[in-house]
Amino acid sequence: MALLRAEEETKVREWFAALERPVELVVALKAGSVPGEAGDARPETPDAFGVPGPEETPRSGSGDVDFGTEMVRVCEGLAELGDGVACRVEDEPDGFPRFPAVSIRPEGRDVGVRYDGLPWGYELSSLVGAIVEAGRDEPTLRPESRAALEELDRDLALDVFVTPT
Amino acid sequence: MLLAYRCALASERVTATAIEANEFPQLAQELEVWAVPRIVVDGEPRWDGAVPEPEFLRRILSA
Repeated sequence: MALLRAEEETKVREWFAALERPVELVVALKAGSVPGEAGDARPETPDAFGVPGPEETPRSGSGDVDFGTEMVRVCEGLAELGDGVACRVEDEPDGFPRFPAVSIRPEGRDVGVRYDGLPWGYELSSLVGAIVEAGRDEPTLRPESRAALEELDRDLALDVFVTPT
Repeated sequence: MLLAYRCALASERVTATAIEANEFPQLAQELEVWAVPRIVVDGEPRWDGAVPEPEFLRRILSA
């Protein structure tokens, strides 16, 4: 199944072609769920090592979805749409509390931009948007917003809960 | 979501994570996610829904 409709793919290719710097997608999967390796890739509850894996989704009709494999398909599919976008897959890398997840990294640097869970449906646009934003040399925030953030003297963790509408 | 990402890209102090609520229902329940987008700042639920950039900045910086 195609990741995007033809007209959407054309648009995304245009956006990715205009990236000013390369963007790397680092896909983090639960141990044993890296495609091609042995192990059950289906969602699991927290394991004996305290690693919180994907919880069972209550969404009807999704019981057979292999979230890890689908995440890899989505991210590798996006990487195919632009030379400036690369994708690699890691097995439970440090710093990821939930799986599957993807870190969006301008020039390969982890700047704290992440999507936890599979970006279904409309939420795929959030991931595409993150890639486009990460590919800009300068942030697109208003000057006054950037100035306010420069004054920040503590760390700030923003979590935004979304659903695939 | 993009506003949060833009803030993270603009400041080394800020991280931004989208969390798919249906895939992590236990966490979503703990943080009382009944509507989306729900914005959580430093682990504390703050508000639901999209707001303009100036208001977004005001809210996260006053949290």
